[in-house]
Amino acid sequence: MSLQDFAFWLSETRLAIALTDSEWAFPAIESLHVIALTLVIGSIAIVDLRLLGLASKQRDTGDLIAAILPITWLAFGVAAISGLLLFTANPVSYSENFYFLGKLSLLAVAGANMLLFHRFAHRQLAVPGALAPKLSGGASLTLWVTIVAFGRWIGFTL
Amino acid sequence: MITDILIAFTDWLGATRLTAIVAGHFWIVPALQTVHLLSIAVVLAGAVLINLRIVGLVERGQPVGAMLDRFLRPIAIGVAVLALTGVLLIAGEPTRALFRVVFWLKMALILAAVSLTWSHRISFRAGRSSAAGAAAATPLRKSIAILALLLWLAVIVAGRWIAYVEAWPGAPA
Repeated sequence: MSLQDFAFWLSETRLAIALTDSEWAFPAIESLHVIALTLVIGSIAIVDLRLLGLASKQRDTGDLIAAILPITWLAFGVAAISGLLLFTANPVSYSENFYFLGKLSLLAVAGANMLLFHRFAHRQLAVPGALAPKLSGGASLTLWVTIVAFGRWIGFTL
Repeated sequence: MITDILIAFTDWLGATRLTAIVAGHFWIVPALQTVHLLSIAVVLAGAVLINLRIVGLVERGQPVGAMLDRFLRPIAIGVAVLALTGVLLIAGEPTRALFRVVFWLKMALILAAVSLTWSHRISFRAGRSSAAGAAAATPLRKSIAILALLLWLAVIVAGRWIAYVEAWPGAPA
């Protein structure tokens, strides 16, 4: 089943109809999405800036990641669920939007970057001047800034 | 009275070159909103870490004074960029936000959230090794931290609601 097929099926579910009928549901879910996504990006940026050696320099990188990651994951869970609900309110238009599809692809790339970091670059944290953690942090920061921009552009091109 | 002053202001602002520039290019408003959102990310992440540290939920090994040293300045810069991008967004469409009660509620909430967040400095002085910076948070301080965090969340909700509420009576169409 393609994304378009899924979108057509979703648009006729009772949830989709309830979301479009309600006056407050969409802005309420949007508010939750903004809170969650800004927290995802802000918390990831703290780690990325540490990896780049630009902030929190007195903190051990591994300890900092362990302290921040639970916040990032919790916020990401809320952002994903609220995002799915926003998609449900207008699935056909979103699934045909260039910036929406681009945002989903960039999210996948950001996820892959994070996976690569925890698999490989994480081990090099103790190595002074190691390049891999810096590349990982720089790529992550660039990707998330682009994801926010794509997200905002969806609203103007729907 | 207030409506008349605001109408005079938005009439003046709408005739400036600033409005012509912001409204004249398709990409400027979404670009400003992107910077606005990224600044919210900086402010909210900083506010969450400071206030949850005071409550005792994160970074328990770090003195509160050190957390304030690390995150108050990024929050201040974030708020400044938010104000700047906010002013530019208003210039792009002068009558959109200013005639809505929820916009002024948002401004009041920002004032309260900023005041409470900076009030932590009263209890936790600068300097990561100073005794006062590492002191335990009192129940009052923890309550203020929870309130500050809720206020920051309310700022975001109020901001989103600007796009959905009606303007007050007498506002320009």
